[in-house]
Amino acid sequence: SIPTSAGSEADVEQLPKEQHARSVLRESFLRCLLSVTNKKVQFHMYERVKVEATFGASDIDVMNFQVSDLHTPIGVQKEALIRCQDVISFSFDA
Amino acid sequence: MQCGWSLLGPLQWIRYINKQVKVTAGKDEEHRGWLLTVDPVSASLVLVNFHDDAVGGGRASVQVVMGHAVQEVQVLQDADQETTQRLQSSFLPPRARPLAP
Repeated sequence: SIPTSAGSEADVEQLPKEQHARSVLRESFLRCLLSVTNKKVQFHMYERVKVEATFGASDIDVMNFQVSDLHTPIGVQKEALIRCQDVISFSFDA
Repeated sequence: MQCGWSLLGPLQWIRYINKQVKVTAGKDEEHRGWLLTVDPVSASLVLVNFHDDAVGGGRASVQVVMGHAVQEVQVLQDADQETTQRLQSSFLPPRARPLAP
Protein backbone atom coordinates (compact mmCIF):
# COMPACT_ATOMS: atom_id res chain seq x y z
CA SER A 1 0.00 0.00 0.00
CA ILE A 2 1.04 3.60 -0.58
CA PRO A 3 2.14 5.75 2.38
CA THR A 4 -0.36 8.47 3.24
CA SER A 5 2.14 11.30 3.55
CA ALA A 6 5.41 12.29 1.99
CA GLY A 7 7.40 11.14 5.03
CA SER A 8 8.64 12.41 8.38
CA GLU A 9 10.82 15.14 6.83
CA ALA A 10 7.85 16.42 4.81
CA ASP A 11 7.69 20.18 4.61
CA VAL A 12 5.15 21.56 7.09
CA GLU A 13 3.93 24.10 4.54
CA GLN A 14 3.62 21.42 1.91
CA LEU A 15 1.36 19.18 3.98
CA PRO A 16 -1.95 21.09 3.68
CA LYS A 17 -1.41 21.39 -0.08
CA GLU A 18 -0.71 17.70 -0.34
CA GLN A 19 -3.77 16.83 1.73
CA HIS A 20 -5.94 19.08 -0.40
CA ALA A 21 -4.66 17.48 -3.60
CA ARG A 22 -5.25 14.06 -2.08
CA SER A 23 -8.86 14.87 -1.16
CA VAL A 24 -9.64 16.32 -4.60
CA LEU A 25 -8.22 13.26 -6.34
CA ARG A 26 -9.90 10.79 -4.00
CA GLU A 27 -13.33 12.40 -4.22
CA SER A 28 -13.19 12.28 -7.98
CA PHE A 29 -12.12 8.63 -7.90
CA LEU A 30 -14.90 7.65 -5.50
CA ARG A 31 -17.51 9.37 -7.70
CA CYS A 32 -16.14 7.41 -10.62
CA LEU A 33 -16.43 4.14 -8.65
CA LEU A 34 -20.00 5.05 -7.69
CA SER A 35 -20.92 5.48 -11.32
CA VAL A 36 -19.54 2.03 -12.27
CA THR A 37 -21.97 0.28 -9.95
CA ASN A 38 -24.22 -2.16 -11.85
CA LYS A 39 -22.43 -1.49 -15.12
CA LYS A 40 -20.94 -4.10 -17.44
CA VAL A 41 -17.20 -3.96 -17.04
CA GLN A 42 -14.43 -5.64 -18.98
CA PHE A 43 -11.39 -6.58 -16.93
CA HIS A 44 -7.97 -6.91 -18.55
CA MET A 45 -5.88 -9.24 -16.44
CA TYR A 46 -2.42 -10.74 -16.66
CA GLU A 47 -1.64 -13.42 -19.27
CA ARG A 48 -4.00 -11.63 -21.65
CA VAL A 49 -7.08 -12.81 -19.81
CA LYS A 50 -10.15 -10.69 -20.50
CA VAL A 51 -13.33 -11.26 -18.55
CA GLU A 52 -16.65 -9.48 -18.35
CA ALA A 53 -18.73 -8.92 -15.26
CA THR A 54 -21.22 -6.58 -13.66
CA PHE A 55 -19.42 -4.27 -11.28
CA GLY A 56 -20.59 -4.21 -7.69
CA ALA A 57 -18.17 -2.44 -5.39
CA SER A 58 -14.58 -1.97 -4.37
CA ASP A 59 -13.16 -1.98 -0.85
CA ILE A 60 -11.71 1.31 0.42
CA ASP A 61 -8.09 0.35 -0.11
CA VAL A 62 -8.83 -0.99 -3.63
CA MET A 63 -7.68 -4.53 -2.88
CA ASN A 64 -10.74 -6.37 -4.22
CA PHE A 65 -13.66 -5.77 -6.56
CA GLN A 66 -16.99 -7.41 -5.90
CA VAL A 67 -18.68 -8.40 -9.15
CA SER A 68 -21.72 -10.38 -10.35
CA ASP A 69 -22.16 -12.63 -13.40
CA LEU A 70 -18.46 -13.08 -14.00
CA HIS A 71 -18.04 -14.64 -17.43
CA THR A 72 -15.13 -17.07 -17.05
CA PRO A 73 -13.94 -19.50 -19.73
CA ILE A 74 -15.61 -22.37 -17.87
CA GLY A 75 -18.91 -20.71 -17.15
CA VAL A 76 -20.66 -17.85 -15.44
CA GLN A 77 -19.88 -17.26 -11.78
CA LYS A 78 -22.90 -15.67 -10.14
CA GLU A 79 -20.94 -13.71 -7.52
CA ALA A 80 -17.20 -13.22 -7.25
CA LEU A 81 -14.38 -11.21 -5.74
CA ILE A 82 -11.55 -10.18 -8.04
CA ARG A 83 -8.17 -9.44 -6.54
CA CYS A 84 -6.99 -6.06 -7.80
CA GLN A 85 -3.42 -7.35 -7.93
CA ASP A 86 -4.51 -9.62 -10.78
CA VAL A 87 -6.04 -6.76 -12.77
CA ILE A 88 -4.13 -4.49 -15.16
CA SER A 89 -7.08 -2.33 -16.15
CA PHE A 90 -10.85 -2.33 -16.53
CA SER A 91 -13.13 -0.41 -18.82
CA PHE A 92 -16.78 0.57 -19.07
CA ASP A 93 -19.06 3.00 -20.88
CA ALA A 94 -20.14 6.06 -18.93
CA MET B 1 9.97 2.62 -13.19
CA GLN B 2 7.44 -0.01 -12.22
CA CYS B 3 6.74 1.45 -8.79
CA GLY B 4 7.79 4.98 -9.78
CA TRP B 5 4.26 6.10 -10.59
CA SER B 6 2.89 4.80 -7.28
CA LEU B 7 5.51 6.73 -5.34
CA LEU B 8 4.97 10.15 -6.95
CA GLY B 9 2.38 11.41 -4.46
CA PRO B 10 -0.70 13.68 -4.78
CA LEU B 11 1.15 16.90 -5.65
CA GLN B 12 2.78 15.21 -8.64
CA TRP B 13 -0.30 13.24 -9.73
CA ILE B 14 -2.47 16.34 -9.79
CA ARG B 15 -0.21 17.87 -12.44
CA TYR B 16 -1.33 15.19 -14.89
CA ILE B 17 -5.05 15.91 -14.40
CA ASN B 18 -6.95 17.19 -17.46
CA LYS B 19 -4.17 16.12 -19.77
CA GLN B 20 -4.32 13.59 -22.54
CA VAL B 21 -1.94 10.84 -21.54
CA LYS B 22 -0.55 7.60 -22.88
CA VAL B 23 -0.24 4.94 -20.22
CA THR B 24 1.68 1.72 -20.66
CA ALA B 25 0.69 -0.98 -18.22
CA GLY B 26 1.32 -4.66 -17.61
CA LYS B 27 3.41 -6.30 -20.32
CA ASP B 28 1.97 -4.89 -23.50
CA GLU B 29 -1.04 -2.74 -22.76
CA GLU B 30 -1.28 0.83 -23.93
CA HIS B 31 -4.10 3.23 -23.13
CA ARG B 32 -4.76 6.78 -24.23
CA GLY B 33 -7.28 9.17 -22.80
CA TRP B 34 -7.99 12.29 -20.79
CA LEU B 35 -6.84 11.82 -17.23
CA LEU B 36 -9.79 12.48 -14.92
CA THR B 37 -8.14 11.57 -11.64
CA VAL B 38 -5.61 9.40 -9.86
CA ASP B 39 -6.72 7.46 -6.80
CA PRO B 40 -4.31 8.57 -4.05
CA VAL B 41 -4.74 5.22 -2.28
CA SER B 42 -3.96 2.83 -5.15
CA ALA B 43 -2.36 5.25 -7.67
CA SER B 44 -4.89 3.99 -10.24
CA LEU B 45 -5.59 6.26 -13.19
CA VAL B 46 -9.03 7.07 -14.59
CA LEU B 47 -8.91 7.77 -18.33
CA VAL B 48 -11.89 9.09 -20.27
CA ASN B 49 -12.45 9.06 -24.03
CA PHE B 50 -15.37 10.95 -25.56
CA HIS B 51 -17.14 9.48 -28.58
CA ASP B 52 -18.67 12.37 -30.44
CA ASP B 53 -19.29 10.63 -33.75
CA ALA B 54 -22.74 9.44 -34.85
CA VAL B 55 -22.16 5.91 -33.55
CA GLY B 56 -20.83 7.06 -30.18
CA GLY B 57 -23.72 9.44 -29.65
CA GLY B 58 -21.74 11.68 -27.31
CA ARG B 59 -21.04 8.89 -24.85
CA ALA B 60 -17.80 8.35 -23.05
CA SER B 61 -15.75 5.27 -22.37
CA VAL B 62 -13.74 5.02 -19.21
CA GLN B 63 -10.63 3.02 -18.48
CA VAL B 64 -9.23 2.53 -15.03
CA VAL B 65 -5.60 1.47 -15.06
CA MET B 66 -4.46 -0.07 -11.77
CA GLY B 67 -1.57 1.79 -10.17
CA HIS B 68 0.48 -1.34 -9.51
CA ALA B 69 0.50 -2.23 -13.21
CA VAL B 70 1.60 1.17 -14.52
CA GLN B 71 4.93 1.17 -16.35
CA GLU B 72 4.98 4.64 -17.83
CA VAL B 73 2.77 7.72 -18.11
CA GLN B 74 3.41 10.13 -20.95
CA VAL B 75 1.65 13.48 -21.44
CA LEU B 76 0.38 14.02 -25.00
CA GLN B 77 -1.47 17.34 -24.75
CA ASP B 78 -3.38 19.72 -22.49
CA ALA B 79 -7.17 19.86 -22.52
CA ASP B 80 -8.93 23.00 -23.71
CA GLN B 81 -11.44 24.64 -21.40
CA GLU B 82 -14.44 22.84 -22.86
CA THR B 83 -12.85 19.42 -22.55
CA THR B 84 -11.72 20.18 -18.99
CA GLN B 85 -15.23 21.16 -18.00
CA ARG B 86 -16.78 18.15 -19.70
CA LEU B 87 -14.24 15.87 -18.09
CA GLN B 88 -14.66 17.20 -14.59
CA SER B 89 -18.45 17.12 -14.76
CA SER B 90 -18.54 13.52 -16.06
CA PHE B 91 -19.26 11.90 -12.71
CA LEU B 92 -20.82 14.71 -10.76
CA PRO B 93 -24.24 13.94 -9.29
CA PRO B 94 -26.99 15.18 -11.60
CA ARG B 95 -28.08 18.62 -10.47
CA ALA B 96 -31.71 19.42 -9.91
CA ARG B 97 -33.18 20.33 -13.25
CA PRO B 98 -36.28 22.40 -13.85
CA LEU B 99 -39.32 20.19 -14.35
CA ALA B 100 -40.82 22.17 -17.21
CA PRO B 101 -39.51 21.25 -20.67
